[in-house]
Amino acid sequence: MISDWQPLLLTFKLASFTTCILIIVGVPFAWWLSSSSLRIRPAIEAIVSLPLVLPPSVLGFYLLIAFSPENFFGRWLDQNIGLHLAFSFKGLVIASVIYSFPFLVQPVQSAFKSLPRSLTEASQVLGNGKVRTFLCVQLPNIKPALLAGTVMAFAHTVGEFGVVLMIGGNIPGQTRLASIAIYDEVEALNYQTANFYALVLVVISFLILLSLYIVNRQDK
Amino acid sequence: MNKLFGRICEIDSNSHLSLVNVLSGNQVFTATLLEIPESAPYLKINNDVTLLFKETEVSIAKDFRGTISLSNRFPAIVNGMERGKILSCVYLQHQNNEIVSVITTASLDRLAVRNGDAVEGFIKANEIILMEGRWAE
Amino acid sequence: MIQAQVKKSLKGQQGDFVLDISINIQQGEMVAIFGPSGTGKTTFLRCLAGLEQPENGMISVFGKVWFDPIKKTNLKPQERKVGYVFQDYALFPNMTVKRNLEFALPANNNRNRVNELMELMDIVDLENRKPDTLSGGQKQKVALARALVAQPQILLLDEPFSALDNETRCNLQDEIIRLQKIFGITCVLVSHDVSEVYKLAQKVFVLDNGKIKESGEPAKVFSHGMTSGKFRFTGELLEIENLDVLFSLTVLVGNQIAKVAVMPSEAKSLKAGDRLLLVSKAFNPMVVKL
Repeated sequence: MISDWQPLLLTFKLASFTTCILIIVGVPFAWWLSSSSLRIRPAIEAIVSLPLVLPPSVLGFYLLIAFSPENFFGRWLDQNIGLHLAFSFKGLVIASVIYSFPFLVQPVQSAFKSLPRSLTEASQVLGNGKVRTFLCVQLPNIKPALLAGTVMAFAHTVGEFGVVLMIGGNIPGQTRLASIAIYDEVEALNYQTANFYALVLVVISFLILLSLYIVNRQDK
Repeated sequence: MNKLFGRICEIDSNSHLSLVNVLSGNQVFTATLLEIPESAPYLKINNDVTLLFKETEVSIAKDFRGTISLSNRFPAIVNGMERGKILSCVYLQHQNNEIVSVITTASLDRLAVRNGDAVEGFIKANEIILMEGRWAE
Repeated sequence: MIQAQVKKSLKGQQGDFVLDISINIQQGEMVAIFGPSGTGKTTFLRCLAGLEQPENGMISVFGKVWFDPIKKTNLKPQERKVGYVFQDYALFPNMTVKRNLEFALPANNNRNRVNELMELMDIVDLENRKPDTLSGGQKQKVALARALVAQPQILLLDEPFSALDNETRCNLQDEIIRLQKIFGITCVLVSHDVSEVYKLAQKVFVLDNGKIKESGEPAKVFSHGMTSGKFRFTGELLEIENLDVLFSLTVLVGNQIAKVAVMPSEAKSLKAGDRLLLVSKAFNPMVVKL
């Protein structure tokens, strides 16, 4: 057996980073979307949901162009912050965050929306500010949706291919994720290695989803 | 319920009870109330009130002689009847008002009431409720 | 004294209307806002709590201005000292009964208040239960206790008993009367139930299409002027039956069944489910010691 665990480890590292950032950014964003009465909200919602419908290669293509040092944004990042996003792990993280954003934001947003308004109001009337109400009342009561969103975002990042191929390429140890490694090995007719990676992904993804459904069932 | 419109013409009261006379047309009705002008401001001479009383509390007599404790005694003409097995309705014309009496069918037969008969109606004073103003449907 | 003038345009089922009322409430008084649904009762309560903003008006509570558009004053709900019992109780599902109460404690307050209230309301046994496991009546008790934790200046009750069965409703109404006696708290009750208003409130404002149609003592407002009928109850009509030339009405009064005989002309306009006022003279009932 060939046991190069590196692509697998890299995949899970990417998924963990992405999920952490998503929770920090996506949950407050979903809360804001659910309570906002801004006119442009539908436009924002549409943009957030774009990755759900676009072929991943489209997103990867535009991100690659944006990150390229030849263009304004990429050059700006390079010169001011010293970030090279194209063909780097950091670039993969950012692309994955964007790509998996709707998978977390959508369930969390709709859970916030379906919370009875009276819960929030009761907390306010009892003297609690927005932050305490968010942390102690709203967030704990959308736990199932938050859990589902987190797991889906994680699993989705594990499974992505098009975006990471476009933006990361195939640099071992940096951007060579499991999904890309499988493709690569198949191209090279190393079916055994491909099967190893594929099998591990199947088993782990299954276990993640299984635990999600078990936890959600216990909650009810 | 029977409703008669009238005007308070006399009030007599002790610490809790009042005896109120109400002029309706040219007939005086008397009601005993468990309230007094101090606690019920509508109890004032010349105030408009509506007298309310149940049909079942209106008694009928024909060719009645002698005295009776009931305070309210008024002449009327029988204007119609509705006969039931146990109870019957008698429609009485009193001045410009119709007053309905519900009595037992046995009494109706005993009195041999006919349409157009002149009878007398009786109501106990403590069965009359006074309502401020005119009854609005 | 609490002075509340509230003006606000509302969308109703039968078109738009303007809620435009002015109410004064004395300290320690229990007043009821009565009327059919969709007449702005709850909106008025929400304006008092600061959950909605009137377009115009003025709210001042015991000398402190809560809302005054001229002075650009509009205190947030957190800054108004109100207890609010929501129609759906709004207990936090993620917290135990005790945590629900503690969550209402102001930062520097001692925890004894929570224990005292739980004892007073007889919900100590429930302290570790989650709201989902409670019955409607228990939820209502917890919601009431929680509303009282922060020692509010006004207690606002939004149709507090509408989802409860008759017996529980009666018990909780007694509970409110008891609590109000203990704390002397000023209460505003929104209700569409005559008997409830009758039982709880010292003063009632009858709201119709956003305006106050009538106000005064419930006994007076709901007696249709028949104040000399001292034996007076409200009930719900359960059944109408024909008896000879009369009709018999079966009426649920509190949790007791009463029967009343009426004329056909009176029965004609009634149907099961109607709310009725039963009036008789103080002289009629016979009394037997139980």
